[in-house]
Amino acid sequence: MSVETEEKRKIIFLVEDNKADVRLIQEALKNSSLPHEVMTVRDGIEAMAFLRREGEYSSAPRPDLILLDLNLPKKDGREVLAEIKTDSKLKRIPVIVLTTSHNEDDIFHSYDLHVNCYITKSRNISQLFKIVQRIEDFWLETVTLPSEQ
Amino acid sequence: MLIDSKLDSLDLTSLKEPVINLRSQIQHHGILLVLQEPELKILQVSRNAALALDISIENLLETSLEDLLDPYQIGRIQARLAEDSLDFINPTKIWVKKRREDYIVFDALFHRNSEGILILELEPAISEDNIPFLSFYHLAKASINQLQESANLQDYCQIIVETVRKVTEFDRVMLYKFNEDGHGCVLAEDKLESMESYLGLNFPESDIPKPARKMFLSNLIRLIPDTQSEPVEIFPPLNPITERPIDLINSTLRSPFPCHVEYLHNMGVGASLTISLIKEGRLWGLIACHHQTPKFVSYELRKACEFLGRMIFGEIYTREETEDYNYRMKLTYIQTALVDYMSQEENFIRGLIKHQPNLLDLTSAQGAAICFSGNYTLIGETPKQEELNFLVTWLQKNVDEEIFYTNSLAEMYPDAENFKNIASGLLAIPIGKRNYVLWFRPEVIQTVNWGGNPNKAFEINQDSGDLRLCPRKSFELWKETVRLTSLPWEEVEIKAALELRKAIVNIVLRQAEELAQLAADLERSNAELKKFAYVASHDLQEPLNQVANYVQLLEMRYQNALDEDASEFIGYVVGGVSLMQTLIDDVLAYSKVDMQGIEFASISAEAALEKALNNLRRRITQTGAKITHDELPTVMADSTQLMQLFQNLIGNAIKFRTEKPPEIHIGVSRSEDEWMFSVSDNGIGIEPRFSDRIFVIFQRLHTRDEYPGTGMGLAICKKIALGHRGNIWVESQLGEGATFYFTIPVKGRERERRNGRKTQNHLFGRR
Repeated sequence: MSVETEEKRKIIFLVEDNKADVRLIQEALKNSSLPHEVMTVRDGIEAMAFLRREGEYSSAPRPDLILLDLNLPKKDGREVLAEIKTDSKLKRIPVIVLTTSHNEDDIFHSYDLHVNCYITKSRNISQLFKIVQRIEDFWLETVTLPSEQ
Repeated sequence: MLIDSKLDSLDLTSLKEPVINLRSQIQHHGILLVLQEPELKILQVSRNAALALDISIENLLETSLEDLLDPYQIGRIQARLAEDSLDFINPTKIWVKKRREDYIVFDALFHRNSEGILILELEPAISEDNIPFLSFYHLAKASINQLQESANLQDYCQIIVETVRKVTEFDRVMLYKFNEDGHGCVLAEDKLESMESYLGLNFPESDIPKPARKMFLSNLIRLIPDTQSEPVEIFPPLNPITERPIDLINSTLRSPFPCHVEYLHNMGVGASLTISLIKEGRLWGLIACHHQTPKFVSYELRKACEFLGRMIFGEIYTREETEDYNYRMKLTYIQTALVDYMSQEENFIRGLIKHQPNLLDLTSAQGAAICFSGNYTLIGETPKQEELNFLVTWLQKNVDEEIFYTNSLAEMYPDAENFKNIASGLLAIPIGKRNYVLWFRPEVIQTVNWGGNPNKAFEINQDSGDLRLCPRKSFELWKETVRLTSLPWEEVEIKAALELRKAIVNIVLRQAEELAQLAADLERSNAELKKFAYVASHDLQEPLNQVANYVQLLEMRYQNALDEDASEFIGYVVGGVSLMQTLIDDVLAYSKVDMQGIEFASISAEAALEKALNNLRRRITQTGAKITHDELPTVMADSTQLMQLFQNLIGNAIKFRTEKPPEIHIGVSRSEDEWMFSVSDNGIGIEPRFSDRIFVIFQRLHTRDEYPGTGMGLAICKKIALGHRGNIWVESQLGEGATFYFTIPVKGRERERRNGRKTQNHLFGRR
């Protein structure tokens, strides 16, 4: 069992409307040694459907980590965050807000909604890569999370 | 014994208002019968009836009118008494048959008193002829013709007294007008040459006390043919039906009050005839006829005089109204003009003083002041602003009405004596709680001629042990000099001021509404602008980041495949993007200055400076800058913004250094209202012609190669200083260092702005 668990690929769920940013994060994760799969949706409605396995996402896996942008079409990242953190089945999945905004109100508000951490995207690519790598290391390897059904 | 000095302390009102009408006495020249309707039984008689009618009182009281008059007369009287109005029966000639078969003829007057009791008054008819009506008519007509030619009120009044005297042949006829405070003034007089003149004299109110005036309103004409005659009692003294003394208020024969008789005696009057002049239900004045000896005037002649009085007075009234009307029209015109000017001018105060006619003309004042929002606008002769300040404070405390006026301000506000030559008269209209329009009139030293000392109009006689008022004995000219008094404010002027008040209140209200609207619009557009700046700069970041990231990714991945040119070009792209990012950051910071609102608190400027220096620590060490400062005070300001202000100014001082290590000093000094901070350096300095330009957003004096930066730093500083209601400026010469100054009011900004965070929260709703 334990061997299986170790071999199981980690699911990183990326909610990001900008294709370029999606690609950039994927690029950053390419260097990772950890077996993982990045699954992406482009708006808040789809994000919730995926997480709740609704419609076409009925067989969607449960993600191990959610990377969430704040400014999203249809349903805002802040609303998505609020819904995840009030849903008893989803609230223990670590959510990381990854955004360009360094507006103080955004930061306060996100933590009020129990975000696991708030990260401002760096403008410097090597730094951005470093950040993504660290997220992966920390949240997928270092941290012990409760096991869920 | 006279006790003048005690007069003031006595309650004169009770003494001034004797109960005149309950005296059941009549004058001796006629007889009075109280009758019971409908059988006309005699209930009470005046004691002189026995002699006049030659029947004993006892017999009279057992008879009815039918027993005295023949059936023809009785029939006629009863018919008339059945009618609503007694005007058709009065006067009636009746004749009473005496025992010796001769008749006496009387002028008979019927009236019912307040209790509805019928009273018959009989005066012996003097002549059986009617008054020569035609001659009277000619007189009246001649007078009226004269009246139409004469120009002023004075002449009118003179013609009236002359005519009345011609008709009645009294020794003296006066026309007497009551002023607002109740005293009377002789406007016109015609008299025997030998008599002393009363023309122009004033008589105190107490000469004709209130109850007496009431009587004059109900009895338009009043005759006292012999002031020396003894009054005649009514018998029995109590009315057998009401069991009270009979009310004789409308009786022509009623005895005058002893005090009045005494007054007439003191004046040397033997007979008097008084005609009331009524205007709008008020006693406007009297025509007073005096004779030195007893004199009887027949009923018809009295009626003729009353008629004359009424007719001619109608003319006076019209003339008076016309004079009033013309002035009122003029004021209405001025008022309309003022309202127009007020609405044309942006500031209504300008409208009141900058044009012709102006505020002064509205009330014929010599000076006026408008006290608005603590500022004074003065026109004409006015007290000093300092004095006005106290006066306005006094008005605030003491006046609640829409208008206040006095022609003797010093009487209630003693300090006014200091500016009596400018403002003995004050007319004030409050606009709201703290604003006033004031008009002033100077002192006019007036001499008022009194018929005797008005303060000694009555003396108190204590001879008999009880207090009794006696009229004064002297009616000689008594001059009173009136000081600390201005010309009075006319009723029309007061009305005009009130109208103006309404107009100003409307304008002020409208302006306040417009202002509130404007403020709301401004707030909305400001909020939108801030939101726009925030959203724009935020949204601009994303594509820029994208460009930056991918160019860098290119460089990273294909480093070996690119030649030198490609690397240089990529360098420019990265540089441009990075500058753009800094610019956007600064715009965001600029818009944030008031987006977050200034949070005023009492803060230590020293702490703000320390924080700024801490933020700049790296650059300070790198450049070896030497920074000194005065001891900084505690100020009312926003600590973050003050810190930013110091940081930007000191940062600039370091940035624009010469090859020498920078030396920077932060100083402070205080004036009455504000703190002035300074940041001086030994840097490259600024040409004075650029000293305004440097505070404008995006304005730079150097290329970025020389000095990096966005040109936002000082614009942000200026915004912070202005936001604190302070100012910022620079003093410098090129090459000689620069000193930046900024000020912060000691009391902070008076009105705390609404917290900007509220506006900001809308940003969260953004999709």
